[in-house]
Amino acid sequence: MANIEFLHVTKLYGGDMPAVRDLNLEIAEGEFVVLVGPSGCGKTTALRMVAGLEEITAGEIRIGGHVVNDLAPRERDIAMVFQNYALYPHKTVYENLAFGLRMRKVPKAEQKTRVEEIARVLGLGDMLQRRPAQLSGGQRQRVAMGRAIVREPKAFLMDEPLSNLDAKLRVQMRAEIARIQQALKVTALYVTHDQVEAMTMGHRVAVMRDGVLQQVDTPQRLYDAPANLFVASFVGSPPMNLLQAGIDYGAGTLQLGETEVTLPSDVLASRPGLRAFTGRTVAVGIRPEDVREAAGWDGARLRGRILLVESLGSEQLVHIEIAAAPLERTDLVDAAAQPAASPLGVDGLGQAVTLLGRFDRHLLLRPGEAVEVAIDPQLLHFFDLETGAAIPSVQVPLAAEVAT
Amino acid sequence: MSAVTPMAPTPVRAAAFRPGSRRRLRKGGWNALALLVLVVMVFPVYWMVSTAFKPGQKILSYTPQWFPTHPTVSNFSDATHQAFFWNAVKNSLIVVSVVVALSLVLAFLAALALAKFHFYGRKPFIVVILGVQMVPLAALIIPLYIMMSRLNDVKGVNHVLGVDKLGGVIAMYLTFVLPFAVWTLRGFLLGVPKELEESAMVDGATRFGAFVRILLPLVGPGLVATSIFAFIQAWNEFIIAYVFLHTPEKQTLMVWLASFTTLRGTEWGPLMAGATLCSLPVIVFFLLVQRRIAFGLTAGAVKG
Repeated sequence: MANIEFLHVTKLYGGDMPAVRDLNLEIAEGEFVVLVGPSGCGKTTALRMVAGLEEITAGEIRIGGHVVNDLAPRERDIAMVFQNYALYPHKTVYENLAFGLRMRKVPKAEQKTRVEEIARVLGLGDMLQRRPAQLSGGQRQRVAMGRAIVREPKAFLMDEPLSNLDAKLRVQMRAEIARIQQALKVTALYVTHDQVEAMTMGHRVAVMRDGVLQQVDTPQRLYDAPANLFVASFVGSPPMNLLQAGIDYGAGTLQLGETEVTLPSDVLASRPGLRAFTGRTVAVGIRPEDVREAAGWDGARLRGRILLVESLGSEQLVHIEIAAAPLERTDLVDAAAQPAASPLGVDGLGQAVTLLGRFDRHLLLRPGEAVEVAIDPQLLHFFDLETGAAIPSVQVPLAAEVAT
Repeated sequence: MSAVTPMAPTPVRAAAFRPGSRRRLRKGGWNALALLVLVVMVFPVYWMVSTAFKPGQKILSYTPQWFPTHPTVSNFSDATHQAFFWNAVKNSLIVVSVVVALSLVLAFLAALALAKFHFYGRKPFIVVILGVQMVPLAALIIPLYIMMSRLNDVKGVNHVLGVDKLGGVIAMYLTFVLPFAVWTLRGFLLGVPKELEESAMVDGATRFGAFVRILLPLVGPGLVATSIFAFIQAWNEFIIAYVFLHTPEKQTLMVWLASFTTLRGTEWGPLMAGATLCSLPVIVFFLLVQRRIAFGLTAGAVKG
């Protein structure tokens, strides 16, 4: 077991846009770190550089304190699980599991005991003589995991290992991988584009975009205090509601469309950074679960109209159209998280934003109805519209790296 | 399961019945066509074999004899006792085995380079490999002959290469077997996901080790398909061998077969017996690897 360090790592393909730009990240011994981001953000490239399958253009990667830039993959003593499993189709399950041991000249008898032990743990005991083509997706996934585990490597690298599984199996394997990692206490770097996977599995989550690391933190803090608009829009499902608002720090008000929201003094006091934005427009974010049906709640009231109600069984997801300015800087947020611009438009109002709310399932709501929602100003997130960076609250200081 | 679920009789609609019968008719038509094609393909082979067993006077009779009524093996003994038969067998075997072995090794390495490595001029090279196969062989014979005859004067090379040397013919055969073999194998190699090699390398294999342990077994069917192609090409080739090999001791079987046609006419009986004998090795080789080629050719067709 060992830690993995990225020190100013850059990867250039061809020479134009870097796939990974000045990446600094440490994965501690025994830690489970998830690299997450939309496709093409450089997360897989970063992982492949650790494996030695991709050359490093600049910077250093260290495993257990040793610089591995010029080491061949086999000299790094790491194990990798590939997205398509990469099981050797002409070898049996047993031979697949034993391949790494054979390459490392482990004695035959020990190979046998170790392979059989792993097969038993993973429930593959009676499939050792089958070939990969005769296995189901979940079983193949388990063989791929087993092949990594049996070697007892310094670190695990996993490249979207669950993306080929169906939804139910994915949830099951998600827990299983996390359990295995905890039991073995092996350093693990896991790449995924699925933020739910990232949030549920990692001790820490590193969010990447366009080759640049955006934020590294525990899942909870990533959710509570996103460092910028991109992280705010990427983490969380459904994503955070984002809109534009004018701010007046002196008067303590926030102008949301035609509604003036009063910011209590404690909100202002905890965000001294807001003072500099007086008279300007900022991006304001609110999580869907913090948008509440007004009855019984304090806080700023917003009027709107229900566009759509999606029942999820345990709760309902309500799309509410309110009069406010939509976010103009769509380049700063995750493209996939942006709802389509409101197609209908509230009568007589200029601009409209669709606000997503997570409501109690017992509320009777119908599309077309007028509704009033309450928003607790304490739960608002503020972002600089120029850079996308969060305007931090002193109560939740941003300790981790912030992309510039 | 002894219980039979009673079912309401399904009303048979005329409309549902007719498309079925039309489909059956169409299927029958295709089958008849396939049968016709089969007969056209098989008949010459049958005629060759049956002629080989006919005594001389029955071969050119005005009323064709479909089946040899008094089969004889004298044609076969005539053929095998014809001058230089065993020389020709030996030469053919040498040429074929060297061509198959060399083309497999060279084509595998070349295909590996084309499929797995990026280098300057790779695309044009692939186009050239395709283009070369489109040049008619007959147009090349004279230039190739001139080149080969010059090699006869080059010291060091002229032991192996040149006109009237088996090595020369082998080199000629490789020029048209290799492009096809490289192209086919490249398709097979492209069909192997690169993660398999990468996984092997992470698991502790060297790059070469990954080729040998993972790639080579996986392109096995491709190698078999290629070797069959090379075998058939080298075994059946006539025109190059006929032009390049002058001395009777150095001729291959196909050239030897032509020796039955003389100024006084053609000895059809021994010729057909010889031809039958010559087709045996190809059939045997094909039967040996036939199960693999069926898989190999489809796999190659889908990918690449």
